[in-house]
Amino acid sequence: MKKALIFLIAIAMIATVFTPAQAASGRNYISIVGSSTVYPFATVVAEQFGKTTPFKTPKIESTGSGGGLKLFCAGIGVEHPDITNASRRIKSSEFAKCQKNGVSDIIEVKVGYDGIVLANSKKTAPLKLSRKDIFMALAKDVPDPSGATKLIPNPYKTWKDVNPSLPATKIEVLGPPPTSGTRDAFVELAMEGGGKKFGWIKAMKKKDKKKYKSICHTVREDGAYVEAGENDNLIVQKLDANPSAVGIFGFSFLDQNTDKIQGSFIDGVQPTFEAIADGQYPVSRPLFFYVKKAHTKVIPGMKEYLKEFTSEKAWGEDGYLSERGLIPMPEAERAKFKNDAGSLQTLKSVK
Amino acid sequence: MSPTTLMLVLLGLSTVGYYIGRRQAFAVAGPTRKVQELHSRPTYYGALTALWCGIPALLLYSFWLAGEDTVIIQLLVAQLPENIRTLPDVELKLLLNNIRNLVSGNIVSGEIDATQRAAADHYRSLKATSQAALAVVTISTTILATLLVRSRIKATLRARNHVEEIIKYVLIACSTIAIFTTIGIVLSVLYEAIRFFQVIPVTEFLFGLEWSPQMAIRSDQVGSSGAFGAVPVFLGTLLISAIAMVVAVPIGLMSAIYLSEYASLRFRSYAKPLIEILAGIPTVVYGFFAALTVAPFIRETGTVLGLDVSSESALAAGLVMGIMIIPFVSSLSDDFINAVPQSLRDGAYSLGATQSETTKQVILPAALPGIIGGVLLAVSRAIGETMIVVMAAGLSANLTINPLKTVTTVTVQIVTLLVGDQEFDSPKTLAAFALGLLLFFVTLILNVIALYVVRKYREQYE
Amino acid sequence: MNNTQKKTRRTIDIVNQSLARRYRAERRFRLYGISAIVVSLAFLAFLFVAIAANGASAFWQTYVKLDIHFSPDTLRQASLATADYQGLVKKSLRNMFPEVKNRRDKRQLYGLASPGASFQLRKIVLDNPQIIGQKRSIWVPADDDVDMLIKGHIKREGPEESRRLKDKQLAWIDQLIAEEKLEKRFNKTFFTVGDSREPELAGVWGAVMGSFFTLIVTLLLSFPVGVAAAVYLEEFAPKNRWTDLIEININNLAAVPSIVFGLLGLAVFLNFFGLPRSAPIVGGLVLTLMTLPTIIIASRSALKSVPPSIREAALGVGASKMQMVVHHVLPLALPGMLTGTIIGMARALGETAPLLMIGMVAFIVDVPAGLTDPSTALPVQVYLWADSPERGFVERTSAAIMVLLAFLITMNATAVFLRKRFERRW
Repeated sequence: MKKALIFLIAIAMIATVFTPAQAASGRNYISIVGSSTVYPFATVVAEQFGKTTPFKTPKIESTGSGGGLKLFCAGIGVEHPDITNASRRIKSSEFAKCQKNGVSDIIEVKVGYDGIVLANSKKTAPLKLSRKDIFMALAKDVPDPSGATKLIPNPYKTWKDVNPSLPATKIEVLGPPPTSGTRDAFVELAMEGGGKKFGWIKAMKKKDKKKYKSICHTVREDGAYVEAGENDNLIVQKLDANPSAVGIFGFSFLDQNTDKIQGSFIDGVQPTFEAIADGQYPVSRPLFFYVKKAHTKVIPGMKEYLKEFTSEKAWGEDGYLSERGLIPMPEAERAKFKNDAGSLQTLKSVK
Repeated sequence: MSPTTLMLVLLGLSTVGYYIGRRQAFAVAGPTRKVQELHSRPTYYGALTALWCGIPALLLYSFWLAGEDTVIIQLLVAQLPENIRTLPDVELKLLLNNIRNLVSGNIVSGEIDATQRAAADHYRSLKATSQAALAVVTISTTILATLLVRSRIKATLRARNHVEEIIKYVLIACSTIAIFTTIGIVLSVLYEAIRFFQVIPVTEFLFGLEWSPQMAIRSDQVGSSGAFGAVPVFLGTLLISAIAMVVAVPIGLMSAIYLSEYASLRFRSYAKPLIEILAGIPTVVYGFFAALTVAPFIRETGTVLGLDVSSESALAAGLVMGIMIIPFVSSLSDDFINAVPQSLRDGAYSLGATQSETTKQVILPAALPGIIGGVLLAVSRAIGETMIVVMAAGLSANLTINPLKTVTTVTVQIVTLLVGDQEFDSPKTLAAFALGLLLFFVTLILNVIALYVVRKYREQYE
Repeated sequence: MNNTQKKTRRTIDIVNQSLARRYRAERRFRLYGISAIVVSLAFLAFLFVAIAANGASAFWQTYVKLDIHFSPDTLRQASLATADYQGLVKKSLRNMFPEVKNRRDKRQLYGLASPGASFQLRKIVLDNPQIIGQKRSIWVPADDDVDMLIKGHIKREGPEESRRLKDKQLAWIDQLIAEEKLEKRFNKTFFTVGDSREPELAGVWGAVMGSFFTLIVTLLLSFPVGVAAAVYLEEFAPKNRWTDLIEININNLAAVPSIVFGLLGLAVFLNFFGLPRSAPIVGGLVLTLMTLPTIIIASRSALKSVPPSIREAALGVGASKMQMVVHHVLPLALPGMLTGTIIGMARALGETAPLLMIGMVAFIVDVPAGLTDPSTALPVQVYLWADSPERGFVERTSAAIMVLLAFLITMNATAVFLRKRFERRW
């Protein structure tokens, strides 16, 4: 009896190990990978898609844009993902890699915009910043306050040092690490925008672009800017626990936590849905996803998923994605990408 | 016959082999059933038959399946038209991939022409032939082996010794899995790590004092050049681990002493499993606790005392990690304290020592090598812990030993580098593999030391 | 005189003199011990209470009672699967509050019921098409914001623009409560479905099944292999460089960061063997490699604790070494080995980092039905929910942790039971 049992278990074990080897082929759901920023939006669409159509709900992994593109570009076939989300555009090197691995036809779909906000706890007053203030507070090297055209290591300790109209609290900004696309966009839009306000730095853009970028894009590393990881919820909760800190994260987290935190004014505009949508609020970035054309014929539901994502009830002004904090594109742009996606227009090259 | 069915058939056949072998043994013993004249018990003859019938067939089976594809592809390429065979390697691979996908009804890229279709049919027929051949070969092997062993069964056949020998080899194979895992780990990080070291010199990585992986994300973006000195990252890891050990060692050791020397059996039977639960709580949970409860508390206390405390101090992560590893220290110490023979205690008591004196002066020294080994194991667990630090410790690599400042750890960097948005073959991503490799060697060295200490100073009381 | 006194001062006097101090030291030492235990247990209790306080409310969910008219105009036979169920919900809400006219207010009104309401109606109609044309009162889940308000997780006070729920919505909610059309019920959904992006529709069952399948694979592989390795190393292996190497390796693997095992799994199981991504089988294999060292170490110490007399007796009556081990030592060491295995499994249960690398950190709605279906695991679900912006996920994160802990405590309790039931002391 005991021996028979042991024998059965052994059989079960061996069978477990060997069955999947051949089960690898044949997949009836869409496999999506990519950016953690697009993840909350893509999942909503996927769920809606799965529950209102006969197809299975797509599987969505949150791997980061780079990791997503790596998997995406690895080749054609069921073992490779069909769609990758990205919080930045595909790069030419990645595009080349895709081509090399046989992923020649890629459809690019822009989803909408994600506002990047600076926010602090409701327990204090909102900050009224300009992009110049952000640059002065967070850059590694700032222009000499005496007015000379040279750089000194950032001496500012409190917001008041940066701009006398700001409160005298310590500069403590919780933000994404350099590996993050959010950080990339923030640096480019907010800090570079601030650096440009200095005439001589702006002038440098023409002469020495490299130097100009390195001045504008380098974030201070003396503890005032805390690299706090990519868990935005955690940042929100840390802000709630620490009223003097300021956090940098996506708009959707501000939108969901309006009772705890408030967005800082940037150049006089508070990050609201409307202000980001009509472009008044200066810091926002586009989100994308990429589709393998070769898969659209074979994986069930791919075209329908594209249709769901590009429908007005999803990404339109009043669509369910906007309720989640996705900022819709202007109507003309929506129409263009909807058309591209519908006709499976592929990407020719990436500059 | 599909490989899975074949597998089940083979297993079935070896079961049959068992009964054949056993029956033969009884038959050899004669109608009077003088089983005691056999060298081994009849089950051993059965087991021997089953093993001889199963193992060669299974080995054949796995080698066949492993090599099958390569051979088929060789045959297929040889059959392809001249103009395709001479294609560059990359294109040929793509074509073969298409053919393979065509065969399995999978996604195909581009258009399919007649040659590819023909090739796919050819592939399919080759595959079918191969599977049929495999089935014939393995099944005939099993049957032949069964018959052979059956004919060999005699009263003098040392069946038990043979079976035991085979079992011993199986056991050895199981114990070498650890080595294969290690080799696998090294290989899976080595390749990418080497690519990293082609960009960043090894010396800069090992001895550089600055860690700031801010390489440009896009080609038109400059940013800073990026620095890949691993020293601050490892120092941060050591700092957090040291704080964790400061918490875990005294608490863990004292709990172990109390539980093994003082506590009643009843108390021990409740307290010990409860403490062990601490080790089983998912580290995600600890991470939350550290980030949202402990860190703000430390920060506020620090502000009250006039100290400058970072909101993601090493102290918070270290404290919580320390609590997590209490059970590692306590369980292992408990084992070693229990292993100290009662006679040593009795000797100390009879000399008039109090219980605490006995513990401090007799038991602890005797158990010390084991305890140190356990502590070192706990240290390497602390170094390798990921989720707590991902959530509670920061990412800024400060070269500091001030526990109130933010530091970063190796595991945090690996996670953020791997799941970030950056390009995948930039030194940034590759740095994660280099860190992983280095971390692996650091824990390896710690373990070698631990083993050496335990060996060298172990007291033998037998 | 002085001299003689000194001479009569015997050892016992010195001992007696120091006794008080030594007893104090003894008491202090005892106190340290007990306080160490109290500290760790207090922490455990604190953690449990904190989680339970946060998560208990997730076991209840606010429902709204809607009077739905399954109108044949909307539900045509031909397109039952894709009919406008949302429209039915909206209509029912409009009927309840006929005074709502303008577009903005209507949107706010529709926001009271969960988007899941229409899925629920779709299921009812598809299961029972006869219902078309009838009127029914149906309890549907309320939106997560309403749920949070009822549970007191978001406040009613404060300026309107900084609140998720506007003044009008609050008035409607109060009216619904007064009419007894809004109530909290046991949240069955949480235990029966997979993940969702709507907190009120999200459940842990998918993750529980994922964890279950993963652990089954881990258990079936790691226990026999671990025991076999331990038996060889402890009973048969000669003490030489080779076995030293294995031993160092095992100890080292027990301490290798779990994320490195994820890298290994990615390279070996996914890329080399071509196993499917996100599948419990791969998760199980990776976790097997991760828990093996723990099991081997525990099994070895269990084997060590079997007294030599047993072995000698077995060998003495003529058993071979293998027979001695299999028939006598192994059964006695088995409880210890099982305990070690369960502790290893508990660790595997709580592990997130390696799963990150093999695609098990994913949004998966369908509950996995087998070893190769895409799935997540409980700790992954915790991690994902913790990172979701919606407020409703905060309590669900804690609730998922509670489920995970319940799983864990059950496993630990089994270990304790086994230890008690079979443990022998020599």
